Amino acid sequence: MSRHARERLINIILYGSVAAVLVFLYIPIFTLIAFSFQEGRFLVLPFQGLSLQWYGALFRNSAAATALWNSTLIAFVAMLFSTALGTAAAIVAVRYRFRFKLPFLGLSTAPLAFPQLLMGIVLLLWFSVLGRWLDFNNGLVTAIIGHVVYITPFAMIIVAVQVFNFDIALEDAARDCGAGPWEVYRYVTIPLLWPGIFSAAIFSFLLSWGNFYLTYSLAGSTRTLPTFVFSGIATGSSPLYPAMATVVFIPGILLVMVADALRRRAARRLA
Amino acid sequence: MIGEGEPKGWRQPELWAKALPSVALQTLFFLAPLLMTVLLTFQETRSFMLQWAWSLKTWSDIFSRPHYWTILWHTLWMSALCVALCVLISLPVAYALATRLQSMSGHVKVLITFAFLTDATLKTFGWVLFLDQKGAANFLLERIGFPPAMIGFLYTDWATLLGMVYNLLAFTIFTIYLSIANIDRSLILAAYDAGASKWRAFWEVTLPLSRPGIWTGSVLVFLLSVGVFLEPKVLGGGKSPMSAELIRQTFETRVNWPLGAALTIVLMVTAVFVILLFNRVYSLRRHGAAA
Repeated sequence: MSRHARERLINIILYGSVAAVLVFLYIPIFTLIAFSFQEGRFLVLPFQGLSLQWYGALFRNSAAATALWNSTLIAFVAMLFSTALGTAAAIVAVRYRFRFKLPFLGLSTAPLAFPQLLMGIVLLLWFSVLGRWLDFNNGLVTAIIGHVVYITPFAMIIVAVQVFNFDIALEDAARDCGAGPWEVYRYVTIPLLWPGIFSAAIFSFLLSWGNFYLTYSLAGSTRTLPTFVFSGIATGSSPLYPAMATVVFIPGILLVMVADALRRRAARRLA
Repeated sequence: MIGEGEPKGWRQPELWAKALPSVALQTLFFLAPLLMTVLLTFQETRSFMLQWAWSLKTWSDIFSRPHYWTILWHTLWMSALCVALCVLISLPVAYALATRLQSMSGHVKVLITFAFLTDATLKTFGWVLFLDQKGAANFLLERIGFPPAMIGFLYTDWATLLGMVYNLLAFTIFTIYLSIANIDRSLILAAYDAGASKWRAFWEVTLPLSRPGIWTGSVLVFLLSVGVFLEPKVLGGGKSPMSAELIRQTFETRVNWPLGAALTIVLMVTAVFVILLFNRVYSLRRHGAAA
């Protein structure tokens, strides 16, 4: 095989693998979108016809609306906490050197590598014991705490990348010009870290929004979209779910695109 | 620029203010629950109620029942296969993302991120619709002339594995991508100058240097995959349960907290042990090769 032909082969394998993985990743997503427009009650091909009736049924379904609201609420609050905690932890991880740094890094990233179902169970036990003692039931708050524990390490890593690319001289310059510590944060550090913080926030929101395992264990009788869907497919597939999936996909892809555009703009500004 | 100078003490107020919230969070809602889970394994349960009485009953129960270990073994095998597939699929993709596709690379990353962040329950259900006997895959295959119902592996272990790889693939793609993207290009160019072919340069420069990414990705995927429960239930049809399903049932159906807690600990400890073992074997082999 000539050198030229071999190079072509390598390129075909590389580009081909990217294309194949994208197809693989989007198969279930497009299947759901396609099935959302079918008319019949049963989720089988060929379709009996095309219609939007399941979207109508979805918007009239109050359980689905409640689940949607719960998901959004949990995701929003979890996003605020995880992003704030993750940003602080990221600054500590990159900027400071101190004796207990390794234990700090271990502790603050450990949930990342812990299976979610097990974390959910472990936390469920904890909340049950605490709940009996302090008299509370599992619900929105316990679900939010679980999400924050799991998502903060993700937020921390995303912001840490931004902190790593940050020129410390800018803060020194601000201090030399007489800015106090709070002013340095307000006018230098936070604005420069903003793209990282913003991506972390979007990532956190979506991770929480699509979270199944933790919500399943920790939300008590409160239903979110993922647990609502799970309880449905456990009892038999309903034609509502593809429509629901399509509705869920749209804000997701928009948010990911916004995060990426911001990251690019920040990268250009740094260059 | 970063972390210059001697390590400072940990008593700086500024450091405290930033580190304390996440330390408190993870101590209170990760470490403490974990410790309590360990303690729970030494308790007993009577008529579905937890009794705080110290005993080793649960542990002797676990070690005398081969049933639990069969399921654990099955889980570890599935996870190992999942890791191997994730790495094999991710290597060319990560390499292409880092070295080809200059302007497209950003878009591809967005597409992968979105697919990763979307609701796992819905995506798994999407696979059911695709792989079903009367699903999209068989419909399309029949259209282009294949015999009907050719794809029939839904509700088997293979479908479970497919779902696991699907839901975890992004972790290996991104960790391997990061380590390849951080390789100094001049090292690869130096290999070319020394007369190495592209393949040889990849094998002897790029691949060894991307080892940290491969290792981190594998550890993450392995640890996360031992805990899957959605895929075996929805795609595997619940026919061959994995550890996570067993643990869930122990808590929910049998309401035996000490046993469930002990099974959780056994699963995590075994998984970490497997990783340490691999690390050890691997570093021994490398030192052996160097000598």
